[in-house]
Amino acid sequence: MSTTTIPSNQAVLSALLRADFITQWRNRKSVVLILLIPVIILIAWQGMVYKFGGPFVLSNCITIGLNAIGLMGYSNAIARDRDKGIFQRLRVAPLTAWPIMASRLMVQLAMILLVTTAVFIAGHYVDKVTLSPAGYAMGFAMAFVGGAVYLSLGQAIVGLIKNAETVNAVTRLVYFIFIMVGMFAELGALGKTIGDAVKWSPYGTVKHILSAGMQPATWNQHSSIALLVTIGYAITFASVGIKWFRWSSK
Amino acid sequence: MQHPSDTIVLSVEGLHVNYGSFHAVSNVSFFVKAGEIFGLLGPNGAGKTSTLSAIEGLLQPQAGTITVAGYNVKENPLHARANLGVQLQATNFQPELSVAEIIQLYAGIHGVALTKERLQEILISIKLEDAAKKRFGQLSGGQQQRVSLIIAMIHNPQLVLLDEPTTGLDPQSRRQLWERMEAMRDNNHGILLTTHSMEEAEAVCDRIAIIDHGRIIVSDTPQTLIDQHRDNPEVISVSRRGKITLEDVFIGLTGRTVRS
Repeated sequence: MSTTTIPSNQAVLSALLRADFITQWRNRKSVVLILLIPVIILIAWQGMVYKFGGPFVLSNCITIGLNAIGLMGYSNAIARDRDKGIFQRLRVAPLTAWPIMASRLMVQLAMILLVTTAVFIAGHYVDKVTLSPAGYAMGFAMAFVGGAVYLSLGQAIVGLIKNAETVNAVTRLVYFIFIMVGMFAELGALGKTIGDAVKWSPYGTVKHILSAGMQPATWNQHSSIALLVTIGYAITFASVGIKWFRWSSK
Repeated sequence: MQHPSDTIVLSVEGLHVNYGSFHAVSNVSFFVKAGEIFGLLGPNGAGKTSTLSAIEGLLQPQAGTITVAGYNVKENPLHARANLGVQLQATNFQPELSVAEIIQLYAGIHGVALTKERLQEILISIKLEDAAKKRFGQLSGGQQQRVSLIIAMIHNPQLVLLDEPTTGLDPQSRRQLWERMEAMRDNNHGILLTTHSMEEAEAVCDRIAIIDHGRIIVSDTPQTLIDQHRDNPEVISVSRRGKITLEDVFIGLTGRTVRS
C-alpha cells in the first residue's frame, strides 16, 4: 500500500469557497435582483415608515430578501448543480460531503450580510431610519437566524423534489405566496384569522424577530417565543432537507 | 510500450449491487494492474455504470470488496479516492468557471500546489493555453474531454476511470485521446475504460471484460477473445466483414437485442 496524503479540510474548503464565490459573482444579475427587490419595496413603502415605524418596514424588506436568497438563489443553484452532475464530480474527490455544503452555505451567509446591509443603508438614506448600534447588531444576528429558515426551506424543497425545473417552479410559487400573503397579512388586509396564521408562519416569526431585534428595548416574551419557533422551523426544514437530499437527480 | 507491472491498482471481488429486487451487478470480480488499460464492455443496462459507481464510492454495494491502490473503498474512502482519477460521462463542471479556474479548483481539493507556471504547463499540455479564460461551456467537445482528462490526472492517481471518454468526438480527437491514454499507461497508471466502441477497445485495451445482465461473461485480451470465439456459431452468424472482430464476439455473446 502506498503512502497517500489527504488534503486538509482547510485547503479543500478554501478551494471550494473560491470557486463558489466566483460562480456567485458571475451570476451577479440574480444577485442584483435579490438586492433590488427589498430596496425597491423599501423606497415604495416610504410613507409607511411614519405609520408603522422604521423597524417594521426594514424587517419586512429583509424578510423578503432572505426569502429570495433561500428560495430563489440557494435551492435553484443546488438543484441545477445536482442535475448537471457537478456534485457527483466533486464527491469522487477525496473530500467528505460537509465542505461542499459548508462552502455553498457560506456564500449564502455572505448574501444575507449583503442584503441586510443594503436594506439598512437604503433605510438610512431613503427612509431616514437610524437604529442604535445594538439594534443594528441584533438586526444582523436575527437576519442570520431568519436566513437559516429560508435556506433550510430551500434545502427541504431540493430534498423532496429531484427535478431542477420543478424545484424552480415550486420555489417561485412558495416565494410568491410568502411575499404576497405575508405582506398583505402584516398590513391587516387579509383578516384576523389569516393574520394570526401568518404571525406564526416562517414569514411572520422571521419578520417579528427582525423587527424586535432592531429595537432591543421592545424584545418581549412573544419575541422569545417567535425566536424559538423560528429555530424550530429551521431545524425541521433542515432535517427534512438533509434526510431526503440525494446528490444525484438520476 | 511498457508492459503491465504486477502491482494491482484496482481489485473488485464478489461485487453485488441491487436496486430493490433488481440485481444490477452480481458477483463481479476483476482487477486492473498498474500500466494496463482494462476495458469494461457491455450493452446499455449491463451493470457497467453501477460497477463504476461502486468503485467511485458513489453507491454502497450490497456485498463485495473493492480496493483502490490497496485501500478498501468502504473502510478508507478518502484514501481510495485520493488514488483515483475519474472522468465521468457528463460534462459536470460549473459552467460559470473558466478552464483555469476549474483546474485550480480540482488541484485545490486534491491538495496539489499549483503555481502559475505549472498551470500554464498544464494548459499547454492539453493545447488550451489560449483558452484559459474561456468558460467550460464555450469549449468544443474535444476540448472539454481534454480538460476533463487533465482534471482526472491532476493528482497523479494510480488508477484512472474513464467512462465512455470518446463518445461524441470526431476521429481526430478520438485518436488524440487514445494517444493520451497510452501515454498514461506508459507512465504506469492503471486505466479502467468503459466504451461502446469495440474498435476503441481493440485498439487500446490490454485486457477486456464483457459484462451482461450484471455478470462478467468473459474476460481476456481482445485477440484471445476473438480467437476463442471465432468458431462460435452465434459469433459467425453476426459477422459482417468475412473476418471475426471483437464487435462480432461482443454481439454474439450478448445477443442482437437492442437494450434500452
